[in-house]
Amino acid sequence: MPSETLTHPPEVRANAVSPVAVRRTVLGMLHKAGASHLGSNMSVIEMMVAMFGAVDTSKIASHAPDRSRILISKGHCAAATYGTMAHYGIIPFSLTETYHLDGSRLAGHVSHAVPGVEHSTGALGHGLNVAVGCAMGLRSRGHGDRLVLTLCGDGEIQEGSIWEGLMFASHQKLNNFIALVDNNRISSITNTEKVIDMRPLPNRFAGFGLNVHEVDGHDVGAITAAINEIKAGDRPGVIVCNTIKGKDVPFAEWQPIWHYRSLNDDLYAQALAHLDTLEPRQ
Amino acid sequence: MRGQIIDAIYERMAANPDIFFVTADMGINLIEKFEETYPDRFANVGIAEQNMVGVSAGLANLGYRPFAYTISNFAIHRCFEQIRNEIGIHGYPITLLGTSTGYDNAPLGPTHHIIDEWGALKGIPGIDIYCPSSVIYAGALIDKILSAGRPAYVRIPKGEFKTPDSTDDFVKLPGASSDVLLVSYGTPAQTCLQAQEKDPRLSVLVVNKLRPLDDEAIAAALAPHDQIYVVEDHFPSSGLYGSLCEVIAGHPIKGRLRSLAPRDYTLDVGTSPAFFHQKYGIDLAGLTRAMA
Repeated sequence: MPSETLTHPPEVRANAVSPVAVRRTVLGMLHKAGASHLGSNMSVIEMMVAMFGAVDTSKIASHAPDRSRILISKGHCAAATYGTMAHYGIIPFSLTETYHLDGSRLAGHVSHAVPGVEHSTGALGHGLNVAVGCAMGLRSRGHGDRLVLTLCGDGEIQEGSIWEGLMFASHQKLNNFIALVDNNRISSITNTEKVIDMRPLPNRFAGFGLNVHEVDGHDVGAITAAINEIKAGDRPGVIVCNTIKGKDVPFAEWQPIWHYRSLNDDLYAQALAHLDTLEPRQ
Repeated sequence: MRGQIIDAIYERMAANPDIFFVTADMGINLIEKFEETYPDRFANVGIAEQNMVGVSAGLANLGYRPFAYTISNFAIHRCFEQIRNEIGIHGYPITLLGTSTGYDNAPLGPTHHIIDEWGALKGIPGIDIYCPSSVIYAGALIDKILSAGRPAYVRIPKGEFKTPDSTDDFVKLPGASSDVLLVSYGTPAQTCLQAQEKDPRLSVLVVNKLRPLDDEAIAAALAPHDQIYVVEDHFPSSGLYGSLCEVIAGHPIKGRLRSLAPRDYTLDVGTSPAFFHQKYGIDLAGLTRAMA
């Protein structure tokens, strides 16, 4: 466990966490580490803010047995995960500064070596299934009112295991289970539509009996509303979040190569300057 | 053996609220009682073994002790990455229960010949591997697993073998001579015991826990013998033969180690395990021939 004191108190809520501020933190982590996966780490920021905002993060920070669970199935969104967790006071900001560096606990894929992380991921098509098990376990333990939120990618859902998990969640009517799909329409090397065209994506999930919502994935309020609607229903849900890979980093938006490329000093400065135009630094 | 293991889990569920039984739609006329008695601690994930392991990991996240049940080849090969990541990396105390071993499913063809699965699992650290060779060991196994609190795989042979009468992880049945030692587990262990009945000079070492091995104790059991035959219904390089090679490499063992085992897949059709045991020389005649 990190010995540093938390920067924010755990009761910080979604409306207090600015996606632009999180983006700034995450870009700093990626730049310092020379790390890749910028595109996805930018597309999921609002989804991350909405997910952590929808649960009692103090229970996550204290590892309470009846905590809601958040599992990041697309594990390469590690920087966004850790950055968001820092803004919610689950881990200290000082820890995020070690991201991807020698001796750190913060690998380039989500790791349960980091306090507050439920499950290590990286290989795709794993986290969602574990999340389904968590949802079932919470229900069996009498905590079926706790949420299990999992974030997966629109490329990741090409893995067959994803559909095994969704079939089972649907059959079991695990209404505390919600999968948020980062529909940034780019997978590893090209557009998902060119690889496996799943459009219209919501219909695929609806066909599995899931409670499907489609929202602007950069609208925290819309994502939060969808989470609340699914929670109030009697079926597990999927929120198709339409996003932009590389969101708010103008030279990276929609560019598949930013799955692999890392920021040099000039590009990092350009990215920060653009974020400053969206929201002044505090 | 399957019955003893299933009954032990079911009985322990009454006092242990953390046990959760998960099946990938296997176990007809056997596992129904779990759902009837403990509906909140039972899940049938369907024909979806990857999900079985993922769901088990999620249950373990909630503090449950999942027992995940299906046929051995599906339990291991189908979801190898899930086992590596969800069980190996996280160390969750999940027990994979694999029914059928070796040529138990003889006429069903090579996809159902289970001759390479625990060796594959051996490549993932931290998972205990058991193959009960008698109903006596099978009956004691679940308590061993529950108290160990570690990830485990149980390879369950078909059959109700009454010997050896021991709950130890390995048991040596010394013969009248120190010349020959037969080392085995599961179904072929019965063949070795039959060989000893015919020729009391033979010694037999039956191994119920395949990993981790107690290297020192195993080395001591091997040490007196000049000829050591490892008889198994599994590929030798990744099987017990390979494990014993590692033991011997680190200890002054004088005996020569030989393997009697299948070494490849086959499309040959045989109606019973005996057909394949004969083909690969792990039947009584094969043992006798090898030792001649």
